[in-house]
Amino acid sequence: MFEIEFGDDDTVMVECRLDAAQAVKAQTFLDQVAGACVLDLGKLEYVSSAGLGVLLKTHKRLMGSGRGLKLINVNHHIHDIFRYSGFDKLFVIVPANE
Amino acid sequence: MKQKFKRSFDELQNIVTMTETVFREEGIQPELRHVVDLATEELFVNMVTYNTESHEDILIRMDPHEHGIEVNLTDYNVERFDPTAASTVDVDAPLSERTPGGLGLYLVLKMVDSIHYEYRNRQSSITFIVDRKE
Repeated sequence: MFEIEFGDDDTVMVECRLDAAQAVKAQTFLDQVAGACVLDLGKLEYVSSAGLGVLLKTHKRLMGSGRGLKLINVNHHIHDIFRYSGFDKLFVIVPANE
Repeated sequence: MKQKFKRSFDELQNIVTMTETVFREEGIQPELRHVVDLATEELFVNMVTYNTESHEDILIRMDPHEHGIEVNLTDYNVERFDPTAASTVDVDAPLSERTPGGLGLYLVLKMVDSIHYEYRNRQSSITFIVDRKE
């Protein structure tokens, strides 16, 4: 079951599968976020282009005020998706093993 | 294994369940799951989103193939749309020029080992193969 919620220090915790069926839930949550934001993806198992769209839209909005999303604890499967998508050039990404 | 799915994103979890079953029963390498899940979702979502004139279910078939899996999606009573001919995405563009559009099919074409499209009798059929890298 996909979950997105605030954790400690206002880090946003994202869990399970962020697919097209869950993109609206994720976008609705992230639309409330203002300023710099850290997304902990340590428990995110899967992301599709619908999820990437949510991240991109949110990042662009936050960068409008000079902030943005930082993506941490990214597993290697999802890091591959980010790399193929060119997201590694747009976001600050911290892999899970660092 | 083959199974029909309604034209709804709510079916994505059922597609995942089908994929899990095929991988388990056929002993397919688990490391291929991510690419198979991604390609299947992107192609299914594309059919649901753009082939809006059809009300028929979408058929998904999954079979073992050499060291991996072959997946076919068939959409009935639709116009021709060849996802393998989708325009490319400039993944090097700066943030201000990036939009999510087209990224799904771009990733599919990048990540599967082969992909084939066929259109006949108003049926769109797309088949992709994901194999273990030797």
